[in-house]
Amino acid sequence: MKHLAFALTGGLMLALSTPALAQKIRVGCTSSADCGTAMIAVDQGIFEKHGLDVEMTRIALNSNIPPALLSNSLEIGGPTSSVFLQAVDGGLDLVAVAGASVMHEATNQGTVAVIRDGVTIDSAKDFVGKKVGVPGFGAYIHILFNRYLMAGGVDPAQVNMVETSFPSMPDVIRTGAVDAVASGGPTVQRILSSGTGHLGPRFVAELGGDAPIIFYAATRQWAEANPEAVAKFQQAIAEAAALAASDREVVIASVAKFTEQNPDLVRATPPSKYVAELTTDGLGWWLELMQKQGLLQGSVDPGKLIVAAP
Amino acid sequence: MTATGRLNWLGMILPLALVLGLELWLRTAGIVTDILAPPSQVIVALIGGLLNGTILAATLKTLTGAFGGLLIGGSLGMLLGIVFAVVPVIDRAMEVTVEALRPIPSVALLPVALMVFGFGYGMEFAIVGKSCFFLMLILTRSAVRGVEPRLREVARALRLSRAATTWKIILPASLPRLFVAFRLAASLSLVISITIEIAVNPQGLGYAIMTAQQALRPDLMLAYFVWIGLVGLCLNAGLLLAQRTLFGRAALTEEAR
Repeated sequence: MKHLAFALTGGLMLALSTPALAQKIRVGCTSSADCGTAMIAVDQGIFEKHGLDVEMTRIALNSNIPPALLSNSLEIGGPTSSVFLQAVDGGLDLVAVAGASVMHEATNQGTVAVIRDGVTIDSAKDFVGKKVGVPGFGAYIHILFNRYLMAGGVDPAQVNMVETSFPSMPDVIRTGAVDAVASGGPTVQRILSSGTGHLGPRFVAELGGDAPIIFYAATRQWAEANPEAVAKFQQAIAEAAALAASDREVVIASVAKFTEQNPDLVRATPPSKYVAELTTDGLGWWLELMQKQGLLQGSVDPGKLIVAAP
Repeated sequence: MTATGRLNWLGMILPLALVLGLELWLRTAGIVTDILAPPSQVIVALIGGLLNGTILAATLKTLTGAFGGLLIGGSLGMLLGIVFAVVPVIDRAMEVTVEALRPIPSVALLPVALMVFGFGYGMEFAIVGKSCFFLMLILTRSAVRGVEPRLREVARALRLSRAATTWKIILPASLPRLFVAFRLAASLSLVISITIEIAVNPQGLGYAIMTAQQALRPDLMLAYFVWIGLVGLCLNAGLLLAQRTLFGRAALTEEAR
């Protein structure tokens, strides 16, 4: 009994003397390479080095991230710029804490329209009356595709757009269910290799852009209550971005691990560009684009949406 | 399996031919697809997932979510169903409320549930519970009302109180039908649970399907489909067995098979 009492007291003292474990930060991202910096920071121990205990969760739909942040299921999430701005426009008090991926030459070139063989589409005007599969309404690719159509003098309403998930794109092209898909990532290569479709307009690269695709966001309440954690998170992400820029294999390994995709598939996908800093210009670019397309109802001030890095 | 427990070979011909046809088509046609996989690859993925424990872990989470909701919602629904059937005034008073809330599709409540409960079991318990609650409520009410009127007369002749009538006469008489309602609610709970996981909740079998799909692993995705089918079959077989054991053949109507 005496031994037990000693053991208990010793255990209790040990527990009290150990520094309190860092608060667990749950980061939620969709199954893409865009949150690569957080994946690397977990795998390479960068978060740990900065005293953060981070756990990553795969989220099926990007639009589920804002409500998940609000319900405290996640502390930090990786929404696309459009999902974030629509959530803020809808009244959710979210802030961007660090940048994740930005538009750049390789991904802009890799986000293309793939046209079913037998259909000829070379310009925005050729899309009129055609059925086009887009991965999500109001999502990144859809908004940029609309931008391309509008720049070419075509009203997006003249194009019959249907929601088509990435994995089903090779099949809808093969079976002729759609005339074209607006796609990106490994799916483009999958369709081209099947010999049922060919490359159409590079609708993002033709107009360019370097705005953020996905960034890390939190509720304003959480960010204000945890300024230290936010600062450490920003530092860790910046470090991971520097590592990602110098070593692509690290990115491939972490992305393949998180998404459970085959590493060869990740390697064949155009590499993402990771930038940890966020600017109001980047968010403003999306705001203007979305306002033109009637996707936002109120006015959002991008200056109030970013937590500056220390 | 037939009712007599023998394997129905004749009935197996069509599904086997379809599986073989799919295998041959996918192997020889040379098509690129990210939503179909040859059945042989599906079986390999299924065995792999079972051996490394991921499928079983996901199954446990889904069943916990489904049965938690079933127990909470189902038992409340059953209790209220009995009360509604025994006390007609309450039934009439609640009719508008019940009929207004019942048709709301459970899955339509997902965005609200995500805000309120966040990820995890809470959301599944709430949504599955809502579906099972109304199903059990309606079926229990009709089961109790359907009790042979002469039994009620017996209760009156014996001057039993309302509580005693319910406990000693109505409940035992309606138990077989209540169990059929429970079986229906159990299947529904599994369906709703997986739907929630596909749409929102990052856990369980539905989430695993989405993950496999997004990782462009149709073999694993289809393996989960096959597994969910097997889980559903086992669940139904288990409940049927329980029904036979508890209530004998009297409870086994044609539709129950």
